[in-house]
Amino acid sequence: MPVLTIASSKGGPGKTTVAMLLSGRLAADGIKVTAIDADPTMAFHRWATNAYEGPAFTSRTQTDETHLAHLIDAESRVADLVLVDTAGFGNRAAAVAMTSADAVLIPTLSGEADITEAEKTVRLAEGLARAARRDIPARVLLNRVKRTQLARHAAREIERATLPLLAATLGDLVAYGEMTFSGRVPDQGVAGDELARLVAELRTIGWIPTRHNGLT
Amino acid sequence: MKTPLKSRIRLSPDDAIRIAAETAPGLPPARMASSDKAQSFNMRLRTSTIAAIEARAKADGATLKQVICRALADAGIAVAPADLEDGTPRRRAA
Repeated sequence: MPVLTIASSKGGPGKTTVAMLLSGRLAADGIKVTAIDADPTMAFHRWATNAYEGPAFTSRTQTDETHLAHLIDAESRVADLVLVDTAGFGNRAAAVAMTSADAVLIPTLSGEADITEAEKTVRLAEGLARAARRDIPARVLLNRVKRTQLARHAAREIERATLPLLAATLGDLVAYGEMTFSGRVPDQGVAGDELARLVAELRTIGWIPTRHNGLT
Repeated sequence: MKTPLKSRIRLSPDDAIRIAAETAPGLPPARMASSDKAQSFNMRLRTSTIAAIEARAKADGATLKQVICRALADAGIAVAPADLEDGTPRRRAA
């Protein structure tokens, strides 16, 4: 089943937040999700095991690239979707997770350094796909967007760099920060709407399943 | 004409590791190996203190080092997890 790796060679663009949002929302949709935390900080796994309140999904941790490759392979045989949250710097585990993936989601903020690192991550994903002789599509997700000139400029810069950009964006909302403490994935309000749009777009491009495939 | 690439052909784990290493050879591991190496730390203690530590170690089935390090950890000292383990050859062999 699909493997979606969330990656960025820069820390802080919201990879773990996106992993939380997708895991919780898709589990609520009845999708059998396995989330693998490949970041040594273990922020996602801590949240999943200590704070998360919602329909269950499986949370695993693995930062060693060799074990990670085998874990992704094993989980992809039993889960509807495997989500891999990677560390915020270029590292072997992230490269293996991207190589093993069916798609790579690259959150970024609107700053110049953020977009530069997003581009590096896209190019790395492209290089890995060529080497693997597989199509591993990558898309950039603008995160913590404020409705400002900066955000519009960032979107234009991403287009100029010919980076594939998702139409969906995530705003700079308190609800996402609250989720990290409350364990509740937003399902209503502005945050719930944004998440619904992101999930709908990912389904439209075939990155995530629409329903449980019946595997146990 | 190029052969179309197919996304659903999954790589073997070994191929994924090899391709990632060949494509991005300079990347570091996600978790760096610890540089927190062990070194010696000697203390001169009164015989009675040593006897008390030995008695507790015997009662707990622990080593002297474990008794001391556990007490330090309980007092809020940041004792490395490895120093709370019994690493003596005798116990490793058991």
